[in-house]
Amino acid sequence: MNFEMLTQAVGELEDEKALELLKEFVATNPSEEEANKAVAACQKGMALVGDLFESGEYFVGDLIFAGELLTEAIDILKPVLGSGEAKKVGSMVIATVHGDLHDIGKNIFKSMAEAAGFEVYDLGIDTPAQAFIDKVKETNAQIVGMSGVLTLALESMKDTVEEIKEAGLRDDVKIIIGGNPVTKEACDHIGADAFTTNAAEGVKIIQGWSA
Amino acid sequence: MIIIGEKINGAIPAVKKAIQEKDADFIRDRAIKQAEAGADFIDVCASTAPDVEVETLKWLIDIVQDAVDTPICIDSPDPFFLKEVLPFIKKPGLINSVNLEKIEGSDQDKCDVLFPLVEGTEWEVIALTCDSENGTPRDVETRVEISKKIIEKAATFGITPDKIHIDPLVMALSTDNNSLLNFVESMKQVKAIYPTVKFTSGLSNISFGMPKRKIINQNFMTLAIYEGMDSAIMDPLNKEIMGSIFATEALLGRDKHTRKYNAAVRKERI
Repeated sequence: MNFEMLTQAVGELEDEKALELLKEFVATNPSEEEANKAVAACQKGMALVGDLFESGEYFVGDLIFAGELLTEAIDILKPVLGSGEAKKVGSMVIATVHGDLHDIGKNIFKSMAEAAGFEVYDLGIDTPAQAFIDKVKETNAQIVGMSGVLTLALESMKDTVEEIKEAGLRDDVKIIIGGNPVTKEACDHIGADAFTTNAAEGVKIIQGWSA
Repeated sequence: MIIIGEKINGAIPAVKKAIQEKDADFIRDRAIKQAEAGADFIDVCASTAPDVEVETLKWLIDIVQDAVDTPICIDSPDPFFLKEVLPFIKKPGLINSVNLEKIEGSDQDKCDVLFPLVEGTEWEVIALTCDSENGTPRDVETRVEISKKIIEKAATFGITPDKIHIDPLVMALSTDNNSLLNFVESMKQVKAIYPTVKFTSGLSNISFGMPKRKIINQNFMTLAIYEGMDSAIMDPLNKEIMGSIFATEALLGRDKHTRKYNAAVRKERI
């Protein structure tokens, strides 16, 4: 198996080529270790997609397609990955905060974070602070991601951080906020650890936290 | 085509700055330019923190209604803020917006709060097809269901369908292949029941995440007008999109001897 070729095929979104390579690979009955290398090669390809998105070469439709391609790739690899699922890089709880219904950006971030190997628990839209807290407790996630498009989402984000503090969880999680209205100032005001208006950059930030 | 000018919104950085610096001239200029360009309503949205939103809205309203006769489209996510500022608006305009989601900690939705104020007036209202059960649905059936509920609720306050602009919240084409087709089908089905109801849309959602968005926006406009869209929240100073509107209306036989189109060119609106 030429892993570099696989990385390149994923990065260039050549789905037929990538899936064919994977099918041929699975037909050789590879070891679990080899199979994990193939997963890593696909994820490397996804990182390329993220870079090309950041540089303005790829657009949202390409990103979504990349997420779908990765899901198909993992499905093909599943039989040879053994019972032990591919090890997760980290886990996070994400949602659009209370009072806001926008979720395009959040969904893109989710598929990219999953593609990068994160376990993502998505609570959907208009999510109250308590739901974040309950899910963090339940899953022991190390990262919380809050998304919003409306200006009022910033207040909800602040309230959510406050409640996470009150629940005694603030030191256990890193918090990243994303969406149109977030800025450095808003991030400081809210008390989050990082902010981004770019899904690919957001994934890089959480990768930094999980390294 | 009813044009709702979108250029006075605190979410736009230059407007945000003008609000912070209390730069009334900047706001006045935007109101006048939009009115001259042919806006039928001028959207006024503060997009500030909630604690200063009402005073900001009042400040903006005063400037706009002092500068132009064009009615205001008053825009806030909070129905109680809308209720508070409505009495300060002299000329009946458009409320942006209501939907059927229950307001936190109450049994009411935005229609319950705002329809009593619209009752017996010339005010019109933008209604989004969202409710507590479905959030923001993208399928035709649920959108039609919610539209019907809103129109029937309005009827109990004596508000006729022609005063309602349904906004079915167009999805991004890059995430939903059938975005325009579902918008059109929702519109057709609701209009089959209530022929006078209006349909509206923001223009930029459709092209979210795509390159050269203008091309998509302009062609969306043309197709949507052809299929019966009545109003749009947009930038009336954008000559390309205005050009699409004038050309489409002329092509659809709504502009006798193409004189409106000709005049728009002459006045450099397109």
